[in-house]
Amino acid sequence: MSGYSAEHLSRSGRHLLDRRNFLSSSATALSSIALAKMLQTDQLLAGNASPVIDPAQPYAPRGTHHEPKAKNVIVIFCAGAVSQLETWDYKPELIRQDGKPLKGGPAVTFQGPAGNLARPQYAFRQRGNTGKWVSDMIPHLAELTDDIAFVQSLTSETNTHGPAENFLSTGFVQDGFPSMGSWLSYALGSENQDLPAFVSILDPRGVPQASVNNWGSAFLPAEFQGTPFSASRPIRNLNSPGNISGNQDAAARSFLQRMNARHLEKNPGDGKLAARIASYELAARMQLSVPEIGDLSTEPEHILKLYGADSDVNPTKTAYAKNCILARRLVEKGVRFVQLFNGAYASGGRLNWDGHRELKKQYDVHAEILDQPTAALIKDLKQRGLLEDTLVVFCTEFGRMPMFQKGAQGRDHNPDGFTCWLTGAGVKPGVTHGKTDELGRKAVEDIHPLYDFNATILHLLGIDHERLTYFHNGIERRLTNVEGHVIRQVLT
Amino acid sequence: MKQFWYFAALFFGVLSIGYSVDFVKDIQPIFESHCYDCHGAEKQKSGLRLDVRSRALKGGEYEGPNIVPGDAEASNLIHFVRGDDGEKTMPPKGEGLSVLEIKTLEQWINDGAIWPEGVDKVTLKDPREHWSFQPLNPQAVPTTKDRGFPRNAIDHYILTGLKAANLSPNPPADKRTWLRRVYLDLTGLLPMPDAVAAFLDDESEEAYEKVVDSLLASPRYGERWAQHWLDVVRYADTHGFEVNTPRPNAWPYRDYVIEAFNSDTPYDRFIREQLTGDLEGKDSATGFLVTAAALLPGQIGKDEESKRLARQDELGEIVNNVGEAFLGLSIGCARCHDHKFDPVSAKDYYAMQAFFSGVLYGDRELPNSKYEEPAIKLARMEAELAKQLPSAMSGVERGQVNVVLNVERFEPVVAKKVRFTVLETMAENRREACIDEFEIFDTSGRNVALASSEVKVSASGSRIQPGRHELPFINDGVYGNSRSWMSDKVGTGWVEFEFAESQKIDRIFWGRDREGKFGDRLAVNYKIEVSNDSGGWKRVADSTDRHLFQQKHIKRHAFHKEAFPAAVRSSATKLSAERDAFVKQHPGGKQMVFAGQFTSPEPMYLLRRGDPEQPGEEVAPAVPEFFGSVSLPREAGDRDRRRTLAQWVSSPENPLTARVMANRIWQWHFGIGLVETANDFGLSGVEPSHPELLDWLAAELIHSGWSLKHLHRLIVLSATYRQSSQYRSDGMAVDSGSRLLWRYPSRRIEAEPIRDSMLLVSGSLNLETGGPGFDLFQKRGGLSGFPPVEVFKKSGFRRMIYAHKIRMERDAVFGAFDCPDAGQSAPLRRQSTTPIQALNLFNSQFTIDQSELFAKHIISIAGDEVAEQVNYAWQLSFSRSPDPDERDDAISLVLSHGLATLCRAIYNSNEFVFLP
Repeated sequence: MSGYSAEHLSRSGRHLLDRRNFLSSSATALSSIALAKMLQTDQLLAGNASPVIDPAQPYAPRGTHHEPKAKNVIVIFCAGAVSQLETWDYKPELIRQDGKPLKGGPAVTFQGPAGNLARPQYAFRQRGNTGKWVSDMIPHLAELTDDIAFVQSLTSETNTHGPAENFLSTGFVQDGFPSMGSWLSYALGSENQDLPAFVSILDPRGVPQASVNNWGSAFLPAEFQGTPFSASRPIRNLNSPGNISGNQDAAARSFLQRMNARHLEKNPGDGKLAARIASYELAARMQLSVPEIGDLSTEPEHILKLYGADSDVNPTKTAYAKNCILARRLVEKGVRFVQLFNGAYASGGRLNWDGHRELKKQYDVHAEILDQPTAALIKDLKQRGLLEDTLVVFCTEFGRMPMFQKGAQGRDHNPDGFTCWLTGAGVKPGVTHGKTDELGRKAVEDIHPLYDFNATILHLLGIDHERLTYFHNGIERRLTNVEGHVIRQVLT
Repeated sequence: MKQFWYFAALFFGVLSIGYSVDFVKDIQPIFESHCYDCHGAEKQKSGLRLDVRSRALKGGEYEGPNIVPGDAEASNLIHFVRGDDGEKTMPPKGEGLSVLEIKTLEQWINDGAIWPEGVDKVTLKDPREHWSFQPLNPQAVPTTKDRGFPRNAIDHYILTGLKAANLSPNPPADKRTWLRRVYLDLTGLLPMPDAVAAFLDDESEEAYEKVVDSLLASPRYGERWAQHWLDVVRYADTHGFEVNTPRPNAWPYRDYVIEAFNSDTPYDRFIREQLTGDLEGKDSATGFLVTAAALLPGQIGKDEESKRLARQDELGEIVNNVGEAFLGLSIGCARCHDHKFDPVSAKDYYAMQAFFSGVLYGDRELPNSKYEEPAIKLARMEAELAKQLPSAMSGVERGQVNVVLNVERFEPVVAKKVRFTVLETMAENRREACIDEFEIFDTSGRNVALASSEVKVSASGSRIQPGRHELPFINDGVYGNSRSWMSDKVGTGWVEFEFAESQKIDRIFWGRDREGKFGDRLAVNYKIEVSNDSGGWKRVADSTDRHLFQQKHIKRHAFHKEAFPAAVRSSATKLSAERDAFVKQHPGGKQMVFAGQFTSPEPMYLLRRGDPEQPGEEVAPAVPEFFGSVSLPREAGDRDRRRTLAQWVSSPENPLTARVMANRIWQWHFGIGLVETANDFGLSGVEPSHPELLDWLAAELIHSGWSLKHLHRLIVLSATYRQSSQYRSDGMAVDSGSRLLWRYPSRRIEAEPIRDSMLLVSGSLNLETGGPGFDLFQKRGGLSGFPPVEVFKKSGFRRMIYAHKIRMERDAVFGAFDCPDAGQSAPLRRQSTTPIQALNLFNSQFTIDQSELFAKHIISIAGDEVAEQVNYAWQLSFSRSPDPDERDDAISLVLSHGLATLCRAIYNSNEFVFLP
């Protein structure tokens, strides 16, 4: 190629160029598909490689940087910031100092004046073989601690929900960066060509605060964005509106196919035309496979019961439990990345974990929805052997303060030390890594910005977070910006 | 442990280096085996690079210099490798340095750290020599022997490139193909059959020019090309982040951009207006400064740290926008550390920020607005609300008197004069009454009390505070305490209005402070009388039937829900809430624009690691040092700052500005730029495929008086642009990406032209221009998600650029076609192909509805004959007649499944959505 001086590009920039030239040389759809097959056999991504995307087969499975421990991942995303002090981070000193002011603590926190220290609102007890202290708020999840690796010393860059959810999901506080799921679909493609590679299951109560940013592809190609649906909310436009008959659908589709074939004949060699024809074929397959996967009527009674999906008493819990079952079914079918939301948007803590004013009262409600179904999902994955190649992540955008807010019975935002955890493929079971101070105000030992947590997730999936990049506006962008260290202490 | 062995070794004297240390032989290998992974060509952690002399001796960002020649003990490098500070032992992973290696390093440093020139295995390119930082250097247009191909200079450049690769250009596309291409490209809409026929019939060479001229003169051109610019500046009609509330007055900027393209505003002026439009009578243009997502005050933490960080983020976005959009430079990279590639230091970054430190995110009044809707709309709403209120003296109790707005309704009466008499003011009559505005409406709803309609005003007496309280202010049409009338007597007084001619009136609005800021001096006991020519006063309203005055409800205006009778309360309250929201967005009934507020600049500091909690030295406004010496003293005011920067950016001497824009224009025509990283002309960007052509185009841009239409004309009339898009094996073998342009690179059109063209061919496109956007969603912003509008009304059939753009939330049908999310700058639309696109375009209600309309439209013109219908469908959609096999296939589809089914398939076809 004349005109290029490739040596002035970064290495991955050069790679991008080569790749594009190489790929657009695939003269027909057939040869693109052959190419995808060829690339598929290339197990590990070579050297400094960002993924090679074949336009006709954007979801073809692709190689990793190193041997992956996990093939799939389910991210349980608790929107609104679950308090670490009511769940996983046991602070006996906080019980002793209940009602006293925090010495040297901030006078004003996110929402306003700080009140006095407040004891955990639930009793704690030791669980399992490891003796991990967990609160009574989540009795079912508490049974699983022997399988979990906790990171109790995470920090966020911001104390505002939207930017913090952005940070957790995209590595940037600003709007407009690709989500982790889209990075992984871009990197890995999918094992299942009839379903999206990345599914976001929304909470029955509504969308999370950063909404589509959590599953958006931003400047990555749109192929890699998450497809939102849930057990109660199908994919938009999966089927034509009611007044269109199945015959009309079929006739229009087959006519379209003939039309496009004639057009391709007149414009031979255009891979983009072929790719678009292929996308209609995949869409048609999705019309069959998506309703099938969402049909929970085939689940036996004892499974529905295990998840708590069998009761009408608490419709929100039942709906969330069905979402948990859907998550398992998606992973069973080879969907790479499933994001499972628990909690919705800002609502004074009514619809999510944002317990500013009446934390105990609201957490009683939220915990009932979260606990049994989530625990059942993990147990079910384990009993089916799926946990061996599935990573389960439990996360939230930040933690909460050890003080109550002045004049309130709840805790303000605390980005300085909070807990998320991992279990499943490649995760060292029964460990607790990192520490907050004796009152749970700040991380003090093995401090990990969320970058590290995300780097660890990518690592388990066989991806080096520093080498998975995409060139945009002058920068090789990554999920972890210019930061991130894999937290090896939680790996097997 | 390592330290122990080290000191032990020293103590026992087992280690000594008995020879002089040689950099190449002894030191470079140590660096190579232990350091280059993180501090070499690929990575420079903490900014430290040890494979290049100049960089190594300079040190890293935070700990430099690491090497102090002659003093190993003062050199951080030695501390790190020895592990003196446990946290920062280097290397952090893997085998550490051996004791011998450490000793060798120490001796090398103590000997003066001799690092000879010319031994580095890599040489750093001097950033100052980077091509895009050099002055424009347009050369004579190359001459080519091929007489058949070139139509203008562009073609000579392209042909030269092709020849060098032993390629030839494609033959010209047929006229129909070119016409579709140029229509979609310049206006985003398909050519209609009459335009196709006229062009095909015109066999003169001027036919092409005529088409181009008419398209560039069409308002449709600006609607298409403004979208490109709005992508770059990440324009949206909401604030972004989690609350994502509407930014209701953002759209005047969108309209400004459309208008600027349509009127071919010279590009240098276009830049200046976007930075300093408030000084040039183009107020909406400065919307550019504040297009980014921003946290609203309520979303920012109450703690000072959060506020400082939010302010830094706001300013950072302005610098990003200026850097990326105008200069093609990622200046924003230098916020936390010196730019990794480009000659922009962190100090340069904050000096750039200082140009904008007087800019706040917010609405400002749009002076000389051509949009009069707000005042008219508000008046209409208030008249409607007033009708629901009980009349005065009707025996029905009315709401209490308040400071904001009191409504007096009465039976229509003919009056020459109206008198308002204060009988008592609030708080035991201690103060003089004050009224900011008194409005008297005739039965057609016109305010006849306005001074501008020759009304004489008199009063019992006025306490005057010049410019604030004067009698003429009572009917000057301006609200608020700062232009109001005050009586000169405590507790009493009257004011009288005399019309030039008698008026038939039925309503009065009055308030003490329509802006609701003041809660004093309110007349709580009053009467209103009218008189006609025959003399004698008739009372039409007074305070006796008003609810007892309560201080605590003093700001409950006339349309508070309690003021409405139960029968209409719920509907009236809803309208009242709409009115309140409208007033908030349009204070005083004025058109506002979200285009920044300009204040006195705040001091700007160099922030260590970009952290507002670690301010360093104060910085004054200046352009990056490398680019020149344009700077201002710290005392410079906001206007000077912005004006100075605008002049520098828009100068023909600036090596980047013209190149960056010429490249964008080229990119938007061909789908890929001569520089394919349109927002990055820095060292990490890609070099131009045709550098001479780029410089020639940039020079043309400047010499044509910065006319973008001049560039369009050159490009679309070139032979390069006119080529067919057919693939050829020899071209594919050498240049599969068509970068050398041996063919016109065909591609899928973007979301907007797809939607707009669907509407066009169905006969439903609404060409209304400008003003607030139409809704793609059932909500204009907010927290709980955005349910899409399924069935659109006529306003929803406007061109998509006029949609109310929700940041981050893409349109439910067309967003999947790579619409940018307005989060980060989008210099180029990606071209992805997804099953979701297929599902949306095939199954959405929008497509189904449009297919029906399309079918009706065809029948209305082609009649009942199916063959005619099919033929017309093809003319509309594909600018051609169907081939016989197509026609037969289509006829049989129509006969069995209806014309709308054919239309649905057409909308989904590749031929419909591809720029040929």
